[in-house]
Amino acid sequence: MKKTGGKSHGAPEDPGLVHAKSSEATTEEMRVVLRSRAKALAREPEREGAAEEYLEILAFLLAHETYAIETRFIREVYPLTELTPLPCTPDYIRGIINIRGQILTIIDMKKFFDLPEKGITNLNRVIVVEEGDMAMGILADEITGIRNIPKSDRNPPLPTMTGIHAGYIQGVAGEGLILMDMERFLNDRQLIVHEEVGK
Amino acid sequence: MAGKNDAFMKRLLATFTVEADEHIKNITAGLIDLEKDLEPQVKAGMIETVFREAHSLKGAARAVNRSDMETICRSLETVFAELKRREIDLSPSLFDTLHRSVDMLNTITLSPPAEAAAGPVEISRITEKLEQAAGGEIETQEAIGDVKPPPEDAPRTSEPETLSPGPEFPVREIDETARKQKKSMSTVRISMEKLDSLLRQSEEMLTLKLMADRHLEDQLDLAHFFGLWNKQWAKIYPVICEFHRLQEKSEKQDGKRRQDDIRFARLLEFGERTHDNMKILESKLAELRRRSDRDRYATGLMVDNLLGDVKQILMLPFSTLFEAFPKLLRDLSHDQGKDVELSIRGGEIEIDRRILEEMRTVFIHLLRNTIDHGIEKPEARTKNGKPPRGMIQIAVSRSEGNRVEILLTDDGGGIDPGGLKEASCKRGIVSEEEARKLTEQDALPLVFQSGVSTSPIITDISGRGLGLAIVREKIEKFGGRVSIETERHKGTTLRMTLPLTVATFRGVLVTAAERPFIIPTTDVERTVRIKREEIRTVENRETLSLEGITIPLVKLSDVLELSERTDESPVITVLILESRGKRIGFRVDEILTEQEILVKGMSQPLSRVRNITAATILGSGKVVPVLNVSDLVKSAAASAVRPVAPAAPEAGGDTARKTVLVVEDSITSRMLLKNILETSGYLVKTAVDGIDGISQLKTEEFDAVVSDVDMPRMNGFNLTEKIRGDKKLARLPVVLVTALGSREDRERGIDVGANAYIVKNSFDQSNLLETLRRLV
Repeated sequence: MKKTGGKSHGAPEDPGLVHAKSSEATTEEMRVVLRSRAKALAREPEREGAAEEYLEILAFLLAHETYAIETRFIREVYPLTELTPLPCTPDYIRGIINIRGQILTIIDMKKFFDLPEKGITNLNRVIVVEEGDMAMGILADEITGIRNIPKSDRNPPLPTMTGIHAGYIQGVAGEGLILMDMERFLNDRQLIVHEEVGK
Repeated sequence: MAGKNDAFMKRLLATFTVEADEHIKNITAGLIDLEKDLEPQVKAGMIETVFREAHSLKGAARAVNRSDMETICRSLETVFAELKRREIDLSPSLFDTLHRSVDMLNTITLSPPAEAAAGPVEISRITEKLEQAAGGEIETQEAIGDVKPPPEDAPRTSEPETLSPGPEFPVREIDETARKQKKSMSTVRISMEKLDSLLRQSEEMLTLKLMADRHLEDQLDLAHFFGLWNKQWAKIYPVICEFHRLQEKSEKQDGKRRQDDIRFARLLEFGERTHDNMKILESKLAELRRRSDRDRYATGLMVDNLLGDVKQILMLPFSTLFEAFPKLLRDLSHDQGKDVELSIRGGEIEIDRRILEEMRTVFIHLLRNTIDHGIEKPEARTKNGKPPRGMIQIAVSRSEGNRVEILLTDDGGGIDPGGLKEASCKRGIVSEEEARKLTEQDALPLVFQSGVSTSPIITDISGRGLGLAIVREKIEKFGGRVSIETERHKGTTLRMTLPLTVATFRGVLVTAAERPFIIPTTDVERTVRIKREEIRTVENRETLSLEGITIPLVKLSDVLELSERTDESPVITVLILESRGKRIGFRVDEILTEQEILVKGMSQPLSRVRNITAATILGSGKVVPVLNVSDLVKSAAASAVRPVAPAAPEAGGDTARKTVLVVEDSITSRMLLKNILETSGYLVKTAVDGIDGISQLKTEEFDAVVSDVDMPRMNGFNLTEKIRGDKKLARLPVVLVTALGSREDRERGIDVGANAYIVKNSFDQSNLLETLRRLV
């Protein structure tokens, strides 16, 4: 597949599909089928030419807007079950959680970017992002999925679109997907809490 | 006593062997580097390094009475002092001599003290050579100290015999350990990284232990549930029996079974089967509990052992370092005709072994300095009106965050800033003009400069002005700090702070504003429960009196900037926390427990959070912040500037306005209530029914709820029940306002937990307002 820029990033043929149709499959056969199917599904999505052409992103909903983060910054997505609020911290620090014995800071981007509160939101997903020493969980209302977007398909953000400062946005893709500049966000000194008593 | 001493000497000697080995390696490496063709400046630095290593080794050798090694080191030191001043040059023959003397040191280290005595001739030969190399044409002060070694040697080796009775036996034992050490050398070097990871993982196992505790608690709860069920069954069982009888009777009378009876019999049968099943479950649970208990015990033991051993690898209490000091001090002070008593506090505090090992050198230097320069001779002390016996105190205490503070205090003559300035001028560290400008306070740090000494004479113990320079270097290497305070004729205090690195500790679990927090146990001086009346207000601040001492009292929730409903309980739980000599009482909701805590540092973006130093994970998996007591005390002191009233934001001014939620389906009544409440100063939010009400209560903070009873979707009674059933809201005052005036309704209102029940037909404003005022 040459880099023709087409969107057909070869959905791998499902080898299980053919076998499954033969109705008199024994359990052993079934197992083989299921295993091969699982393998096929577990395979990393094909990324021929994607290195230059595509960005793999995770899209999520936050305050009724769809944002996207490049997956290279994402360690995992975690359900938010219990949160320990931390006193004496700025309001964008929502608290800390325990992920397999590790303490992770949870950030509310709405508060950090001073986004207007639009109705009831349901912040129950944590997107764990990291770069270097910096690791944190970003709250999201809903994860809408992982996909590849062509690098060229990016427009400058519309001024009316969102409250996030344009500096933290790489661009807007296709149907209003706001691509965040995670590199800049994670390296932002403003994010760091360093406060002494009495100052 | 003798046995204890023996064991100690063995340990001491073993430690010395390792330390000496380190120093010798460094000296050898330094010598080899010096032989290379290097820039003079680089060389000077290396000479300094080797000089210090020799100096440190000398000190260590002295601590274990290895006078042979001490003699060689002293001569080595002299040579390097001369090299430093460039009085002599590095010649190949000098290198030979130096290397040979280092080799000899190595041999002596590896051989037990008794055998070392075999080579006094060799030792004196090598020291002679060194001395020749160093001296010859120049008469230096160092020479004074170095001429003496041979005569000094004899008495010192005989010293142990006179001081400790029956040395033969212990010495032989030491020989054996030393030999064993030599043979096996059973030490391995492992990178710190690997050890750290090992420690981290073993510490993580603590969670297992806490989890096991938690499981057992859960099972206990289940068992209680069964107990409750048993009681209920016992109550209902007679009823079931009664039904059985009735049924049988009716069967006999009618002679046939009716459809209803059959169904009823099945129901009864099912009830009994359920009972049997419950019984089986109960006994299974009991078995499960027994097994869990056993497992918990086994897990606990294994985890504790593992963690203990791993900690053993990395952490040591200060006492392992300090136990050598009484002897060292006694020997040193006897030599100088001085009388000194050493007192040690905080030896149980554990610190990373890596740091502790370096502290050995630091303390040996410091104690020598103190004996030599600090403590005066008994006659001089008596003349100054001080007890003839000098006091040296070492006090270790935990300080801010993950650090430890070590105070070394003596009641000696103090440091003379004038002399210090003079000495610094002489060494060219400050110009004369600068020295004149320096205040006494500013001059003090000069003692940490290499080569500065106020001692008029260089002795074999000190006077070269190296000690404190080394001390500072070592402490700063670990990110520690050292400072000095002194008062002429009163004494000197050296204050060192060091990081503890991977310290594990215990914490007190408390709640404030209904949230859990951990306070390090070591920071809690004590906990007290006092009656509300015992709180005194002094200059607008709350205080409590403890054994006649007035201690400021603050609310932990206030210091942590958490809002809290006013707590009217008659007894108040207070933790007395101490930091830097300040004691403050912190009010908490309650103390839950005291337990082992696995401290988990917070990482970027939380670089430093006020009042919070880390977090921990409880057995339930809940994350709890660990508080920084030093910050808390500072925060409390800062809030003390403000008078009491504004400190509690709800207490006065605009912020004191209470928020009331009005739940009412009729818009007219809603408007009316809102209006009444707003005019008397409440902030009012409204909800259209119980469902709306409860969802607002969950998202916002309210001080009270005023609710109608008869509403669609969820009525007032159900709303009240929901509020009482919610952990966070359980104590929220609820006023039911209703047209239902019957006694049953009123009782129902009380049953579901409403604080007040106002009937609309008797409703007038003052009634409602009065009720609210009483409640919030």
